[in-house]
Amino acid sequence: MRLSFACLVGNFAGWVSRISGRGRGETLRGRTILAIDPRALIKLSKGRELVLVSGTNGKTTTTAYLVRMLEAATGELVSTSKYGANMSAGIATALAQGPRNRLVVLECDELYLPSMAQDLQPKVIVLLNLSRDQLHRTGEVRKVANLWRDTFVTDDVTLVIDRDDPFLEFAAGSAGHVLRVSFGGRRHPDAATCPNCLKLLDWGSGDYLCSCGLGSQLAQVRGDQRLRGPARNAVLAIEAARLMGAIVPIELATELTENAPDRISNFEIGGHSIATRLAKNPESWREALAQVEAKCVILSVNARGIDGRDTSWLWDIDYSALIGKKVICTGDRRLDVAYRVKVQGVVEVATTETFEAAIAQAGSGPVEGIASYTAFQELAAAQLGIHARQGGRP
Amino acid sequence: MTLTIVRLYHDLLGTYGDQGNAEVLVHRAKAREIPVELVEVTPGMTVPTSGDIYLLGGGEDGPQTAALELLRADGGLNSAVTSGAALFTVCAGFQLIGSSLPGADGETISGLGIVDVHTVYTSAPRSVGELVCQPTRSHLPLLTGFENHQGLTELGPEMQPLGMVKRGIGNGFAGAEGVWHGNIIGTYMHGPALVRNPELADVLLASAVGDLVEFHDPYADALASERRKTLWPHS
Ligand SMILES: [Zn+2]
Repeated sequence: MRLSFACLVGNFAGWVSRISGRGRGETLRGRTILAIDPRALIKLSKGRELVLVSGTNGKTTTTAYLVRMLEAATGELVSTSKYGANMSAGIATALAQGPRNRLVVLECDELYLPSMAQDLQPKVIVLLNLSRDQLHRTGEVRKVANLWRDTFVTDDVTLVIDRDDPFLEFAAGSAGHVLRVSFGGRRHPDAATCPNCLKLLDWGSGDYLCSCGLGSQLAQVRGDQRLRGPARNAVLAIEAARLMGAIVPIELATELTENAPDRISNFEIGGHSIATRLAKNPESWREALAQVEAKCVILSVNARGIDGRDTSWLWDIDYSALIGKKVICTGDRRLDVAYRVKVQGVVEVATTETFEAAIAQAGSGPVEGIASYTAFQELAAAQLGIHARQGGRP
Repeated sequence: MTLTIVRLYHDLLGTYGDQGNAEVLVHRAKAREIPVELVEVTPGMTVPTSGDIYLLGGGEDGPQTAALELLRADGGLNSAVTSGAALFTVCAGFQLIGSSLPGADGETISGLGIVDVHTVYTSAPRSVGELVCQPTRSHLPLLTGFENHQGLTELGPEMQPLGMVKRGIGNGFAGAEGVWHGNIIGTYMHGPALVRNPELADVLLASAVGDLVEFHDPYADALASERRKTLWPHS
């Protein structure tokens, strides 16, 4: 009774937030539900089959892949959070949408994973990767790995992990069921020392071993070594779907692994369509830079809230892919990134106050963008605003 | 003569972007047509003793202890600074060149003893945020950086700080930030520090090659002054 009332009020709050233009209403709706019934997560997940997806990079796209796969394979509707709202409130909203759907796929913030695993009793948890991200909030990578290791001590859930990542191997160390996928091994940029005992980790050609016993394990599934981040995540999603009893249609599996879409959006600004990638930490910047094709690139960097307030990590990234291109820097911390690419050897560097001004400077050829979290959100919100106005209110 | 810059264990102590300090030194040396070489020292390599400027960055607790033990066993860094090489250290690197610091399990361990500073853990929350200090040597402008550390560092009686804190925590003792002893500098400023404070990069270069010709790098100067104005508008 309390739960259905909570959901009703939550729907209303979400609707108010949406029509008043204060976002998509996902978080407010979930907060309202949880405020009225604190046990809503437990109740809403009861009797359903859940998969949680967590890791530093690729949660939102992998969750979307998995939903597509499960829907294609079962013909059922799958409950999910569509906009990457991955803490308690967003998860409550996702569960409350289609409460009779048997299947649920949820992305989950790394720090919320222990409590969500406890409350939601998932059947499968996909752990994509762990790397440096927002050091002021999550702290050291090893701390997240430790937190997870203390969580996964039961055998009523199956973990699907990329076994090439030593932090995930360590996190899964006490888990009952682990399905390990390997992509041939690759050196982890943040794992010079052992996540378990802190001694220097002995890296061979992509595999690792420590005297304490932590080392690359035998994998049940082997993926192609050449796959990039999003495609590797698609392989993990296929294995998770299999564990949920779904046979993924071969065409879909091929489409997602061979042509895995990045978190990329085409923003229509000033008459230009700018393919923009979200890059929120060193690893996702490296992925984004590896794909840049245009001769002119806009880099937008803020250091607000979720971006992390320290921009030092910009110096951990190799920008040589930008040498010979025109680079226009914008965002609150445009000078930090402009100087960084200058020192890297990019000759043509400019700064502008706004993204629109950057486009105006870009000239007529194709332009691509890379944006930090809040910069990307701003662009996305501007797009929504524009669409709402174009659609016109009665 | 080629200026040799030695970046130590950036795999272990590169968590906070401090490897950028080396790149800025190379950049500013090249701009003045000083022949320069960057030597990368990784675990397992011998630390060269003939370098001019040595750099250590910040990192997590485990890698910090690993780097400390490697440097202690090698001995090369200690002999290089004894013979006058410059040393610039940040955060975990600053702590480990001191007399004592907390080990990976919080126990007190001895550092390299290059400077007489003692780092301890207190009940104070982690120091995270922008840091601004007034350098103790008057020819330098305000220094800015981003600090992110648990340990607090007390200077021994013979030690001078790099600056006095105007904003942020710094060492957490007596309003001091960092240490400046001969050609040795320790600081809690990331950013990286030499990126946001080009004048400090020049101090290190000058300590190795003598007087420098003037060099104005528009983006470096714009970034340094934007940070100073944003964080300390009173100046
Ligand atoms: Zn170990």
